[in-house]
Amino acid sequence: MIEVTQTSAEGLKREFKVVVDNTMIEERVGAKLGELAGRISLPGFRPGKVPLSLLKKRYGDAVRGEVLEETVSEGTQRALSDQGLRAAVRPEIEITKFEEGGGLEYTLSIEAFPEIEPVDFSSIAVEQLRAQPTEERIQSHLEWMAKAQTTYETEENREARSGDAVVIDFVGRRDGVEFEGGSAQDFQFVLGSGAFIPEFDDRLVGVTAGRHLDIDMTFPDTYPVEELAGQHAVFEIDVKEVKRPEAPAVDDELAAKMGVENLEELRKAVSDQIRSDYDRVSRERVKRKLLDALAERCDFEIPRGLVDDEFEEIWKRLGEEHKTSDEGGDEEGPPKSEEEAKEEYRAIAERRVGLGLLLSDVGRRNNIEVQQDEIDRAMAEYARQFPGREREVVRELRDDPRVIARFRGPILEDKVVDFILEMADVGEREVTPDELLDERGDDEESSS
Amino acid sequence: MRLANISRERMYDIIRGPVITEKATFGSEHAQVTFRVVMDATKPEIKAAVEGLFAVKVKAVNTLRQQGKRKRFRGHPGRRAAYKKAFVSLEEGQSIDVTTGI
Repeated sequence: MIEVTQTSAEGLKREFKVVVDNTMIEERVGAKLGELAGRISLPGFRPGKVPLSLLKKRYGDAVRGEVLEETVSEGTQRALSDQGLRAAVRPEIEITKFEEGGGLEYTLSIEAFPEIEPVDFSSIAVEQLRAQPTEERIQSHLEWMAKAQTTYETEENREARSGDAVVIDFVGRRDGVEFEGGSAQDFQFVLGSGAFIPEFDDRLVGVTAGRHLDIDMTFPDTYPVEELAGQHAVFEIDVKEVKRPEAPAVDDELAAKMGVENLEELRKAVSDQIRSDYDRVSRERVKRKLLDALAERCDFEIPRGLVDDEFEEIWKRLGEEHKTSDEGGDEEGPPKSEEEAKEEYRAIAERRVGLGLLLSDVGRRNNIEVQQDEIDRAMAEYARQFPGREREVVRELRDDPRVIARFRGPILEDKVVDFILEMADVGEREVTPDELLDERGDDEESSS
Repeated sequence: MRLANISRERMYDIIRGPVITEKATFGSEHAQVTFRVVMDATKPEIKAAVEGLFAVKVKAVNTLRQQGKRKRFRGHPGRRAAYKKAFVSLEEGQSIDVTTGI
């Protein structure tokens, strides 16, 4: 006999007292032992012939523990199903009495999932911004592509100017001693690109092939190689060649190089790409707005336990980020006190949990599920970041249930958002690309 | 049977352990317990030891020497050690829980 009595109910918190009487426990222990007797083999006894009294001595405690565990979980289940509750966090169980012949008594405290009222999505109005790629944007993108295809042609007697490529031999000395990485032969770089030592960019302007010169310089304090930062060095340079940049024109030839028929095709491809970028941004923004609207409707009570978990998670990650980016120079706004920051992140955690609950509830109510092949696709997408080992990565991911859960989350979220968007009142507004991109990031992160 | 006058140490030495087998458990239904004892223990000594260690009254002691089996290990002949078993009958109403140990 399992008896469940509710001792307290406070918001979503419930406490129960569960009493299991002795006969039930003894019965179960007996049944378990009987089961064991058939299987166990001890030296001195034929299999299955071990006397029960001996088994009880030897395995009694273990069996008792097992029965205890089973009974507790059964009682918990009973308590929850009787009340029609779903536990949001792991139930806390405290055993108040468990002794031989005395039955079992324990208290159970849980936090239930809130009852979520189905939201009437058609009452939500969001505005989706749309933008079309403009002529200038396509053109500038094309030019950028052309520039990336620049080739360099050697030209005799040319005076190097910014944008030209030069081929040099150089030997760098510090206090008259050559240092590592300070010398190279036939080294080609583009003047004014800032890709090499900046001093070189300036001093090599105007040189011609065959010139020999020394550059006396001090490395900037911010130079990435620590030993050289702020150090004085002398470079002896031989200019071997000066090359003129040859940027291909935006024409059919460029298109051919990029692997399409003609310029028209290329233009179209670029336009499509830009448009899909815009569409993605547009969707992201409408999603954010939708979540904002939904967050306002999260008027159910949110389980504290979940909020605490989420908050801990955020706080921990923040702490780690803080450690890696030691200097807090890149933080926006004046540094806040820890208290204030905690307050703020707690609010974020609350919002996330609320939205998460709401979305998963919508998903459950409307039978929105994530199919295996959708997860597979997301994984394949992810694996593409590791060219050459895609297969390996996917195999690794598939075996880890935690990873699968991590992939499942965003997919489900997306699907639910799609579902809601279909029902919601979505107005479209045509805007310029700048407007579309501009308003990004003006509200806090809202995905859950 | 006269009670042998032996030291406490000797008692612990004599009783080497209970014999726990199917056959031995049959005996326990008739107030009889089985022990492994040292080879040179006599019946009076065993009686004294059991009475001394378990605080029971012993009615009778029967013993036997179980000779070790001849075994071959990697082709070499060998012999397991022999041991003595003692069947101790207790007075009516007495019992020893052999599995708890001393």
